Amino acid sequence: MRRTDLPLLVEALKVPMLTFVRESRVRIALLVNGAGQVLAQHGFTRSYEVMNVASLAAATHSSARALAELTAAPRWEHLYHGGKDRQLFLAPLRTPVEELIVVAIFDADSSLGIVQLFYEQLEKEIAALPEFRVTYEGTDQANFERDLEAGLEYLSPDQ
Amino acid sequence: MSDVYTEAVERLSRVNGVRGALLVDAEAGLPVTSELAEGVSGTAVAALASSLFRRTAQASDAAGYGRLATMQLEADEGHVIAVDAGELIIVVIAARDAQLGLVRLEAHRAAESLA
Repeated sequence: MRRTDLPLLVEALKVPMLTFVRESRVRIALLVNGAGQVLAQHGFTRSYEVMNVASLAAATHSSARALAELTAAPRWEHLYHGGKDRQLFLAPLRTPVEELIVVAIFDADSSLGIVQLFYEQLEKEIAALPEFRVTYEGTDQANFERDLEAGLEYLSPDQ
Repeated sequence: MSDVYTEAVERLSRVNGVRGALLVDAEAGLPVTSELAEGVSGTAVAALASSLFRRTAQASDAAGYGRLATMQLEADEGHVIAVDAGELIIVVIAARDAQLGLVRLEAHRAAESLA
């Protein structure tokens, strides 16, 4: 869903996201909504990286959800990739009104168990925010890029 | 192999005062097998205990004390004991009045049986 109250939302997400990053010891974290709007980010140094990861996360989320439906799975929990030096965790984050996407990249300083544990806490904290109790309009393919860029305007590391 | 894991955890959980025993993947911090009392979150204990164990191992190494074999945490209501078992960490949750010597002995026996 496209959010028109982005500045308020970004502000409300700062504390839970910062807590998640601090406690889970992830190097990079990104929170995106289904429309591709970037709601929070940590660890990126360039805005185009944020945009690339946000687009890929939204696409991966759609693919994973479609795959879950095809295999009659009620939902998908998370995707995990264990690289040699870095590990990637991508998961849907459920709120009362919309599903967000969390991307976390971490190294040997953390672990999948720790990231999962604090992701669950992050989900609870965000779901309890009053900002996620109001329904908003959906987006379409034509507006996806506009929504993605709108999110970056508030969060760009280059600014 | 999974029988060996299950047997190790079952033996540990039979010790008086033990409220839970887990084998945890040391790198991922995820439970491999567990026997837990009701209300104990295996995933949370596995993630946090393995993270703490790895940090403590780093501290031991930095202090020049070498490999960490056992970590014992004492809290108001009980103890958490973690023992190195190679790619696994054995985590035991014990009540305050548990026979800690026996718990440690069984945990080390379990580590040897898994090696």
